[in-house]
Amino acid sequence: MGSLLGDWPSFDPHNFSQLRPSDPANPSKMTPITYHPTHDRTLPPPDQEAKNILLRHFYQRAEEKLRPKRAASDNLTPEQGFKHPRAST
Amino acid sequence: MSVWNYVVTAHKPTNVTHSCVGNFTGPQELNLIVAKCTRIEIHLLTAQGLQPMLDVPIYGRIATLELFRPHGETQDLLFIATERYKFCVLQWDAEAAEVITRAMGDVSDRIGRPTDNGQIGIIDPDCRLIGLHLYDGLFKVIPFDNKGQLKEAFNIRLEELQVLDIKFLYGCPKPTIVVLYQDNKDARHVKSYEVVLKDKDFLEASLSQNNLDNGADLLIPVPQPLCGVLIIGEETIVYVNASTFKAIPIRPSITRAYGRVDADGSRYLLGDHNGLLHLLVITHDKEKVTGLKIELLGETSIASTISYLDNAVVYVGSSYGDSQLVKLNLQPDAKGSYVEVVERYVNLGPIVDFCVVDLERQGQGQVVTCSGAYKDGSLRIVRNGIGINEQASVELQGIKGMWSLRSSTDDPFDTFLVVSFISETRILAMNIEDELEETEIEGFCPQVQTLFCHDAVYNQLVQVTSSSVRLVSSISREMLDEWHAQSGFSINVATANLTQVLVATGGGHLVYLEIGDRKLTEVKHAQLEFDISCLDINPIGENPNYSHLAAVGMWTDISVRIFSLPDLNLITKEHLGGEIIPRSVLLCSFEGISYLLCALGDGHLLNFLLSMNTGELTDRKKVSLGTQPITLRTFTSKNTTHVFAASDRPTVIYSSNKKLLYSNVNLKEVSHMCPFNTAAFPDSLAIAKEGELTIGTIDDIQKLHIRSIPLGEHARRICHQEQSRTFAICSLKYNPSSTEDSEMHFIRLLDDQTFDFISTYPLDQYEYGCSILSCSFSDDSNVYYCVGTAYVMPEENEPTKGRILVFIVEDGKLQLIAEKETKGAVYSLNAFNGKLLAAINQKIQLYKWMLRDDGSRELQSECGHHGHILALYVQTRGDFIVVGDLMKSISLLIYKHEEGAIEERARDYNANWMSAVEILDDDIYLGAENNFNLFTVRKNSDGATDEERGRLEVVGEYHLGEFVNRFRHGSLVMRLPDSDVGQIPTVIFGTVNGVIGVIASLPSDQYVFLDKLQTNLRRVIKGVGGLSHEQWRSFYNEKKTVDAKNFLDGDLIESFLDLSRSKMDEIAKAMSVPAEELMKRVEELTRLH
Repeated sequence: MGSLLGDWPSFDPHNFSQLRPSDPANPSKMTPITYHPTHDRTLPPPDQEAKNILLRHFYQRAEEKLRPKRAASDNLTPEQGFKHPRAST
Repeated sequence: MSVWNYVVTAHKPTNVTHSCVGNFTGPQELNLIVAKCTRIEIHLLTAQGLQPMLDVPIYGRIATLELFRPHGETQDLLFIATERYKFCVLQWDAEAAEVITRAMGDVSDRIGRPTDNGQIGIIDPDCRLIGLHLYDGLFKVIPFDNKGQLKEAFNIRLEELQVLDIKFLYGCPKPTIVVLYQDNKDARHVKSYEVVLKDKDFLEASLSQNNLDNGADLLIPVPQPLCGVLIIGEETIVYVNASTFKAIPIRPSITRAYGRVDADGSRYLLGDHNGLLHLLVITHDKEKVTGLKIELLGETSIASTISYLDNAVVYVGSSYGDSQLVKLNLQPDAKGSYVEVVERYVNLGPIVDFCVVDLERQGQGQVVTCSGAYKDGSLRIVRNGIGINEQASVELQGIKGMWSLRSSTDDPFDTFLVVSFISETRILAMNIEDELEETEIEGFCPQVQTLFCHDAVYNQLVQVTSSSVRLVSSISREMLDEWHAQSGFSINVATANLTQVLVATGGGHLVYLEIGDRKLTEVKHAQLEFDISCLDINPIGENPNYSHLAAVGMWTDISVRIFSLPDLNLITKEHLGGEIIPRSVLLCSFEGISYLLCALGDGHLLNFLLSMNTGELTDRKKVSLGTQPITLRTFTSKNTTHVFAASDRPTVIYSSNKKLLYSNVNLKEVSHMCPFNTAAFPDSLAIAKEGELTIGTIDDIQKLHIRSIPLGEHARRICHQEQSRTFAICSLKYNPSSTEDSEMHFIRLLDDQTFDFISTYPLDQYEYGCSILSCSFSDDSNVYYCVGTAYVMPEENEPTKGRILVFIVEDGKLQLIAEKETKGAVYSLNAFNGKLLAAINQKIQLYKWMLRDDGSRELQSECGHHGHILALYVQTRGDFIVVGDLMKSISLLIYKHEEGAIEERARDYNANWMSAVEILDDDIYLGAENNFNLFTVRKNSDGATDEERGRLEVVGEYHLGEFVNRFRHGSLVMRLPDSDVGQIPTVIFGTVNGVIGVIASLPSDQYVFLDKLQTNLRRVIKGVGGLSHEQWRSFYNEKKTVDAKNFLDGDLIESFLDLSRSKMDEIAKAMSVPAEELMKRVEELTRLH
């Protein structure tokens, strides 16, 4: 048994080094402070999309749709020029 | 009561559901993080033990809690998923001491069947993805990108429908899960899958094992270098990796929790359903597993979670008993146990039943709960306020003041108690037999009222009367010096410390004296424009014997002023407003913060932050403690200074986490208090109340006091009987030693003072106690205990047989007077019109208490009402009967005397699965259901049609997030008829997580006001992890989600008092109400619980 027990892992040897077993009749009365955040960092960072997968997809599509299809060229004259009647041969 | 309800927690959840250990608050700091269903607690490991850092409310019920460390991070992040399908990733910002949200989102699917075995959330050990199993047949993946950010989630179809556990395997080039599942022939197997992120699909992996132990329920993945997985069954433990299979048999047990000990995964702690702690060891030769070993270490509470902390100390979190900190010893103790419990953390959960009683007959309710389960079952006596444990008392009328004095300056104990009356002063002292007897201090003037007394330096004592200040030797008891007030100006008020005396005489004269060796010296005189009502020079600065500041309360302009000493210069003048004069001022210091407390003649108390350097008064706050003038005094208990406010509602003022708190003292009225610390009665107080002088010790200074009565068995129903001063419980005891499922059910009688078992009635085999009631019947003056039972046969879906047993308590024994067989389980019993109303399976049945010819009694069926699925919860009021059904919500029945019949009057047609009901008033009924919601319904007597009258209208809805097992009318605090909150009716509830809560019915205008405050608070207090308060409190079940209505979250509203002053002002401005007024109104609400 001794070989299985013992050699317990230690992260910091000081941890629990001064721990005194408490009276079993008296439970711990230490209570932590209750946290009430009032800062804005409770919200996820802006690059983190909190949206539903479906919505995200929807927005991506919407952006694609809004994007101009192709830049209009300054020279509005079609390269090929107007239609020409086919030269009859 | 009313339709406008305020829900507040009196005792927070204590059921520990999850725990984990890691470096959350700093790279070098080791933390234990504990989840208590709707809250997480962050602890720091220190040399002294666990140090609580923060209690973080979460707007959700925590389903998963995991610490993880993405690549490139120096400390761990916390992943939380809630039962309502929200997740968030939290990070600790050590500089700001804030929890910040790294990511959050919604992982719900619009279609999908929620898993039966609970939600599973796991994180790949190499941080490539988070895996969630929330719906049958689906595995949701949230991948991390290479910067550790979470990406878009997607679902993968999981073939296995009855999943028992899923874990990630260690050491796999691609993220790989191992799945423990049950097939449609109820056989259990494991399979593994590689998650192919590119294809968003699974690829079956090599590790698999078929036909495992039928009780296999838990997977433990083993880290590198061994890798593979442990499969924990009820009779065997198996280790499997791609090439190895090792198994060992174990003593039959259900493993509830495990904790990994070594980083290489060679040792694990396993906790079973009986609370036994085992050590499981993987023996290995280099990286090859050679076998498994298991050793029993000892017994703990039944664990729901186990976390190895550091240096052989382990945290055992429990849902069924108190959580513990245990130390693993190398050598066994006398009982052969290697486990030593070094700390205990109270857990009231699960509260299965409770009753509200006034055990000490002080007009204050105490809650006695059936808490815990199995071997960890207990009764808990929960009491609000601070008790005084009386040591001695004498009748003494007309006490006007009290002070304790020492026989020498450096004596650690007090000797004399000076008691002042209107025209005399008497001195009491402890004699050699430790009795209080009257004595004399020759130098004191006994024929007049004493205004103030104090010890002084050089073994001297000071007595102030209306005409003079006397300095007396505490050794010879002779007068050494005397200072006389100017003739015609008698002293009205006075104060002193070890070296200083300050007196105020008529005409607004303030005189400052200093105490020397055998000498009193008048140092300074000041003429104020008005008369002085109260004074204080309690030294709270660096010098414990001398104060540089004096606090002075004034008549006429109703102000409090701070003067400097010794020169009596006015530093600060603060007008109190109103017309009520200050009656008592006190300079005091709590947790290093200096305050000025100022009590008014109408029971209000003002407090200010006091700058010791400038004398400036800031952060004024006002609370109402009672209705009569208050006298303030400091006292010390357990080396901490507190303030006692004596009034018609005595209160102890103390500080916790740098916030002033007010706790009721469980005495009706106290006119004066002074600390009286004698060798015989150390740390005692002398208390003048109602013509009596009492010496007593004071409880620990905290708001709720919990006494634990371990039973070693599971109490399920409790009832108190005033007449016999007993409790009766229905309980069951498991017998873990036998292989068969053996349990014994009992009715036990307990003394209501000692809580000893004084009588036991064993029930039959298979017979369960389901309900218990103390009642009397018409034409019979006796008081009985009635018990409803059910025969729970393994082959029956619902019990078809039960009994009603009627007992009388005679000579401290339970005597069976009558018994009646029933055709089902007796789920509920109520006293009803001098008869007994029982809920038996689908039926409500009324029994008469009949006298037989031979003089004996029997229960005789009178009438009944069918029409329920299972009538589980019944409450009555007059002739009305409110039934909470297994799945058909609430219905209202009426008993018709003339016809001798019970008829249905109305019902709520929603399909709510009920867990408790209560009648709030004639028309409003309260229900709790199994999706953790509360709701109220209203009887619609004025409806135009039969259809409308037959429908109970839902008027209030709220998500409590707690499973309520019982409502009871009553109050945890002493209700004073003349106080504002004394008028507010309350219902107490108890839950599975060990929460004790209060539902208070408010008048409409107060509800509207607080609703507005709640809306404003939502804007200022942010939900941790970005979770929304509004969504959290919305009524939620499988069918609908609707905004909360007619219920307010008292926990959010009362957190107003924890805000910084600037945030309070922000809310006050939005509300157009002065911050001081808001504080006072919210502080009053905290006095409901």
